[in-house]
Amino acid sequence: MRTAERTGLTLDIKDKNVVEMRGITMIYPNGIAANQMVDFSVKAGEIHALMGENGAGKSTLMKILMGMERPQEGEIFIGGEKVSLNSAHDAIAKGIGMVHQHFMLVPSLTVAENIVLGIEPKRGGFFFDEKGAVELTRQFSERYSLFVDPDAKIADIPVGMKQKVEILKALVRGAKILILDEPTAVLTARETDELFRQLTLLKEQGFTVIFISHKLAEIKQITDRMTILRSGKSMGVHVTKDTSEQEISRLMVGRDVVLTVEKTQARPTAPVLKVRGLNYTNIWGKQVLKNVSFSVRRGEILGIAGVEGNGQSDLVKVLFNFEIPDSGSVKFEDIETIGKSQAALRRLGVSYIPEDRMVYGASGMANIEENLISDRFTHRRFNTGPFFNTTAIREECNRLIGEFRVLARSRKQRVKMLSGGNIQKVVVAREFSSDPTLIIAEQPTRGIDVGATEFIRKKMVELSSEGKGILLVSADLAEVMEFADSLIVLYGGEIVAYFEDTSSLTDLEMGEYMLGLKKQSEDEIRGAVHE
Amino acid sequence: MLAQIMSSVFTTVFLASVLRITTPILFAALASAVSERAGVANIGLEGIMMIAALSGVLFSAWSQSAFIGVLGAGMMGVLVGLMMGFFYLKLGTDIILAGIAVNMLGGGGTIFFLFILTGQRGTSAAVLSRMVPALEMPFLEGIPVLGAFARQSILTYVALLCVLLVYILFYKTPLGLKIRAVGENPNAASSVGMSVNKVSYIALGLSGFLAGLGGAYMSMFAAMGFSANMVAGRGFIALAAQTMGRGEPLGTLLSSLLFGAADALSNHMQGTGLPSQLVATLPYLITIIGLSMYTWRTIKKAKRIRKRHSEPANSGEES
Amino acid sequence: MNSDRMLELKFSLLRGAVAILISIGVAAIFIFTVSETPWDALYQLIISPFGNTRQMWNILERMIPLLFTGLAVCVMFSAKQFNLAAEGCVMLGAFVSALIAIYVSMPMGIHPVVAILAGAIVCGLVMLIPSLLQTKFGASVLVSTLMLNFIIQFVIQYFLVHVFADRTQGALMTERFQPTAIIPFIRFETNWGLAVGLVMVVLVSLFLYRTRWGYAIRMVGLNKEFSAYSGMKVAGVIILCQVIGGLLAGMGGGIEMLGYFDRFRWRLLPGYGWNGITIAILAKNNPILVPFAAFFLAYLSRGSMNMAIRTDMPFEMLEIIQAAIFLFFAAEHLMAKTRQKMVVKKAKQEMQSAAKGVDETC
Repeated sequence: MRTAERTGLTLDIKDKNVVEMRGITMIYPNGIAANQMVDFSVKAGEIHALMGENGAGKSTLMKILMGMERPQEGEIFIGGEKVSLNSAHDAIAKGIGMVHQHFMLVPSLTVAENIVLGIEPKRGGFFFDEKGAVELTRQFSERYSLFVDPDAKIADIPVGMKQKVEILKALVRGAKILILDEPTAVLTARETDELFRQLTLLKEQGFTVIFISHKLAEIKQITDRMTILRSGKSMGVHVTKDTSEQEISRLMVGRDVVLTVEKTQARPTAPVLKVRGLNYTNIWGKQVLKNVSFSVRRGEILGIAGVEGNGQSDLVKVLFNFEIPDSGSVKFEDIETIGKSQAALRRLGVSYIPEDRMVYGASGMANIEENLISDRFTHRRFNTGPFFNTTAIREECNRLIGEFRVLARSRKQRVKMLSGGNIQKVVVAREFSSDPTLIIAEQPTRGIDVGATEFIRKKMVELSSEGKGILLVSADLAEVMEFADSLIVLYGGEIVAYFEDTSSLTDLEMGEYMLGLKKQSEDEIRGAVHE
Repeated sequence: MLAQIMSSVFTTVFLASVLRITTPILFAALASAVSERAGVANIGLEGIMMIAALSGVLFSAWSQSAFIGVLGAGMMGVLVGLMMGFFYLKLGTDIILAGIAVNMLGGGGTIFFLFILTGQRGTSAAVLSRMVPALEMPFLEGIPVLGAFARQSILTYVALLCVLLVYILFYKTPLGLKIRAVGENPNAASSVGMSVNKVSYIALGLSGFLAGLGGAYMSMFAAMGFSANMVAGRGFIALAAQTMGRGEPLGTLLSSLLFGAADALSNHMQGTGLPSQLVATLPYLITIIGLSMYTWRTIKKAKRIRKRHSEPANSGEES
Repeated sequence: MNSDRMLELKFSLLRGAVAILISIGVAAIFIFTVSETPWDALYQLIISPFGNTRQMWNILERMIPLLFTGLAVCVMFSAKQFNLAAEGCVMLGAFVSALIAIYVSMPMGIHPVVAILAGAIVCGLVMLIPSLLQTKFGASVLVSTLMLNFIIQFVIQYFLVHVFADRTQGALMTERFQPTAIIPFIRFETNWGLAVGLVMVVLVSLFLYRTRWGYAIRMVGLNKEFSAYSGMKVAGVIILCQVIGGLLAGMGGGIEMLGYFDRFRWRLLPGYGWNGITIAILAKNNPILVPFAAFFLAYLSRGSMNMAIRTDMPFEMLEIIQAAIFLFFAAEHLMAKTRQKMVVKKAKQEMQSAAKGVDETC
């Protein structure tokens, strides 16, 4: 065991553990043990990957290191010195900074104001020194080549710049150890490259980086060593260049990942959903859908691909009538649905797996049963006169829990007590079992475990072969390319490409369309309409 | 009769009464703005004003100084605000419920304390309390509009000054930056090592102080002493004023003036032969209508913006 | 019942008891600092309500309006609608019932029923105002219902003074109710409204937990976005729960009026609506717990009354205790550490038994 050298403690001495966490155990108030006796150490000046599936305990471990959660057991050493971290303030004082997956920025404040938040420069002892803040931002921005506009409002700047603001925030506070929580999840390929260049630069200047991710390619590209977590336990430390991708994925999920679902050639028939000339302007006055036309046919999975924020989620909101479009028409089996209620849509046979499962898809405080019947509780078979037919409801729920393999103690368990994958299974169980004609699946497997992912994908393929129409919106390129029969690419709110058959499509080609480098001809795009 | 009402509305006397009546609403509305911008809905303003109104009377009677009375009322407001903060932030009581509890204390609790401290029920008539003096400016009398300021309470000027001070606080001080950050994205604030709770406590304390001054005005200028239920919903009217002013100091001032004018109008109509009980409903009625119209317009405006942007043909009318 | 829920239940009972003890402790502190005869005051507050049969029946009598406002608030808070107009509705329901009791002649037995229902229906309709303003215009129901309470109070005052006053009386009051309209007593001054209240407890419980409308109300309260997405008519649910709240509160007002008074003479809001909120919090919005919460509050009220009559402490002590209960009972983090310890202990046990299970299979 290393002993602390209190004097002469510098971070640029290689091979010294700047961070050491020993025997960390963290149990959340809902009883979930997120970390169990985890050991974690990082050497000075390295880029260290923290890997694991969603729910493996990566974020929890890092929140502990940031002082945002307090573990029940375990010790933390920073630069060899034992510390107790009771708040982010303590962690920052020890030179740790974190860039969170969901940016911790205040949208209505400027870049400079966000950067100095909490350590504001003062004028006359009392007043906020705006100029000083801008100056400080400029200085750091130039020193580390992280270029931002200090006077812009956060709400108005692109995602890539927001991330730079986050990194600057940490640097301004004197961080020597940077934690980045899935930093590339929201970035385009080009922005990712830029980020990696900057991280390499920071490494050369002596900074230590902890890089949280579950993307194998990125880990291989940029990190020196890695720690892998699996269901709250550490699977050991590995040197990146000596570890194969197969080995990593085996350590992460405990078996070799086979994510190819057997799938026969789709035989699409008549269109079930016809979208024509859809234009939509969001509440901030930005037109986010431009003349979008396409059809979803029975028996096919139509994928919608694109870098996030190019109109996919707006399209889905319009289709499910959470927003009213400026113009255009949406016809479900020749019935116009714009302006109809969600109840009417569901009666017509549309079901929807929303992206935000804890806001729309499920009600965390309600139990599984209450979540499963939310779209059908008025049906005659679940009611006897004014009262619920509790027997029928119980039978339905037990059937769904069994069929969709929801792991729960009982059907009366609160949904928020379940794991992410099981919550999604509850949502999917309800949406797939309502005998839908059209299913809108928005990021159906995001952030859930491999088992649940596989299960949900299989179900989708099954339903499409039964003749249902499925609209699959996903940011996971592998998912749309593998599971969609045909594919639309959205860029800047427009359809820029339509592929009737996805089998011969390459990642490279897709990338060019997704980044707006290429656009198909009008005629090719019109193919999506099927008329 | 309508003519009679109308003619009385545009007089300096009426304007002066608008200022008088607006003062406590303005204090409470600013109080609401400070806590709201920090992300804490303080609906206990009504109760804080009641508690402060009683404290003002008791402190001034004890010290025989109006200033100490007002200060005592303000400090009591701070204490109650911090108490709400303690329950909300430390013990996890819903902030709305904490507010309702404070209002209960303001209703029955003040009667309780008045009784155990003075042996009186309902009013503090026998307590020899001091009043807040008016700022006499006789030279203003007779001048249109400005004449309304001739005999206003010092606290009215303090309230108007507070509009400016709250503006400076929000936009020109580090604390204001912190308050706005905490209100808009508490996670962002805590991620940089700021204590969200500390900022919320400060905001609630300040909010309590301002509401406390409003309460002091009620018992130490508007009326001669404390009486049960004397705040009569002003704390809630202030809530509506703050909503309509979007928590901006100037907007809050304007909407407070609107509700103050409604109240003043109802006072003026008391003498016109209309049934006094019905006239008394006016401020409450106007608050409901004003609030509904405001929120309705906000919804409609959002729709209109979208429509305008989506129809390029109309883009010429944009300014 | 599974062990998770058992743990939750055990913990909430423990915390509830602690909250109530703290609140009574607060009262005791006041009593000992203020009263000349603190032990007597404490005795009157806590023990005397159980002193004799008459006292006990009086607790039941005080429970009656509280049952109704408690239920009303439960229904509205279940949908997270902070509608505070139960207060105004009690007064309005009582007033309408009183008018029917005075001016409409009907046979015994039917008369009170019609009068109470009329009051309830008027209140249900009045609740359309805040709920529609909210769903159509987005106006905060909290603010609008508080304003509404004042408006109801002044409008009733107007009618009382200008239209329905009995000029032969010195004080302001209506004429006497017809004897056919009076709700008979069960024993002492406790009327049959108590039975009606208990029946309503059962009906409202069934409504909230065993019908599609109650389900929708609870789901909207737990997650509005989820409810809309699932196809529920959220605006309709918001209106429905408030109308039902109005009906219940109005009914409570009518029963209180015809069961306890012989003339309408309220000039100010009676305060039962606020008590209803305390009860809903004590009952955690669960109607089946409302009788217990109402009993507890009625007991405190009788105790405070005895204390005020027989000692130097004022009746308003009740408000202090109520506010304290309010704050502590709703304190989610109260004893959070104890809860965390219970959870951690359980999770560790499970981790160990899971580890054992693995060992065994290996």
